[in-house]
Amino acid sequence: MECVVQGIIESQHVEALQILLQGLCGVPKERVRVHELCLKSGPNLGVVPSEVRLLCDLAQPTPSWTVRHVGGAMRGAGAEQISVLVRTIVESKVGHNVLRFFYSLGYKLDHELLKEGFVFRFQRGAQITVTVTSANKMPKLYATDEAVPVTPGIQLVEITAPAAAENYSEVVAAVSSFCEYLAPLLHLSKPGVSMGIVPTAAAAAASLMSNSGAKTL
Amino acid sequence: MPVKWLMHWQPNQGVTLTTQILTEACQCVESQLGGAKDGRWKTALTYYRPALREASASGDLPRELLGVALHDQLGSYYFLLRAHRLILQADSSMQALMDKLQSYKPRVVLNFEGFQYRLGDFQVRVGKCVPSSEVLRGIMMEVEYLPLSSIEKSRQILEDFFDIWQDTVKKRSLPGHFILVEPNFADYGLQDHYTPQHTAVQYATCMTQLMAAVRN
Repeated sequence: MECVVQGIIESQHVEALQILLQGLCGVPKERVRVHELCLKSGPNLGVVPSEVRLLCDLAQPTPSWTVRHVGGAMRGAGAEQISVLVRTIVESKVGHNVLRFFYSLGYKLDHELLKEGFVFRFQRGAQITVTVTSANKMPKLYATDEAVPVTPGIQLVEITAPAAAENYSEVVAAVSSFCEYLAPLLHLSKPGVSMGIVPTAAAAAASLMSNSGAKTL
Repeated sequence: MPVKWLMHWQPNQGVTLTTQILTEACQCVESQLGGAKDGRWKTALTYYRPALREASASGDLPRELLGVALHDQLGSYYFLLRAHRLILQADSSMQALMDKLQSYKPRVVLNFEGFQYRLGDFQVRVGKCVPSSEVLRGIMMEVEYLPLSSIEKSRQILEDFFDIWQDTVKKRSLPGHFILVEPNFADYGLQDHYTPQHTAVQYATCMTQLMAAVRN
């Protein structure tokens, strides 16, 4: 299982967000460059349709592959009251022939994206991962070098933390608490619940940038 | 990692397979060859079939998908598509992932399990092949030569071991003999340096040969 929240931020404020995250997390950022392929089952395969995501990490010298299945979200009155999505997730590292494997099983490519940006991974009440990326689409199949932004000027911020049935409420609390620190710059909410851009983001970003400038002097 | 060769018991025509063969084979390893019992082992092979919305229209979907959990690679899982000569290495969580997808469902699980023995530079595993129905389907062995990782370089040594083993077993006058499983690793794009993927391919080939032996 994992806890997830997402938000969007204007690209011009990403540097300020990075400064804020650097201060909060206390760890260096890592580069993100992931080629994400979303595969869906063919017409007759499976009693119900299924979807799987293949992630190729292009940030490392040798690309590595992960396959991920995102399951259903926790339901019920309790789930509706919390501001963080709790959902099942299964991931596995896999060999380089995973795409050919799933094509051979009868899965088809639905869409692909190149996600570029940075990530902070740290411990703060839970193992938290904050990813800030721009989503880019490919004009030609698999052409990651020719990718162009899907939403120029806007980047996606995603905060995730692994959870288990026994501890998800603590993880939710840790994620919610962390989100409050980022409130001046962005709204974070459950995926699919759009909150838009924070109106005070520009002022908050300017403040962060000028504070940072003062420190380096 | 060290090279392994698999072999399985081929019963004589018309002879039913019994656990007596397994007992005799273990005794050969312990008494005749001086093997020291070193523990138990278990490898599981799962036979998956596609779940179809319309049973009659399978199209060009593969009819079978094999999954292998090796006793000495507990954190990994291997999927084989024999029709495509494709082997995929994954984490053990991949089994749970396939279960979530519900596109391929496990139909039969074959457990290969038994005792392992140390004989000098060799590690020998003798075991039975048992589906969930518990009816004995086969007797097989893994012979591992610890000093070498090259299949070609170890070939002569393992052939010599196999000859000694055949002679030892023959003295017991058992109704059958062991056969080497000899898959074509190159078909799966595997090289001379031995890996767990080689073992997974051998188990998949062994399963086919065991099924053919039972039918005959």
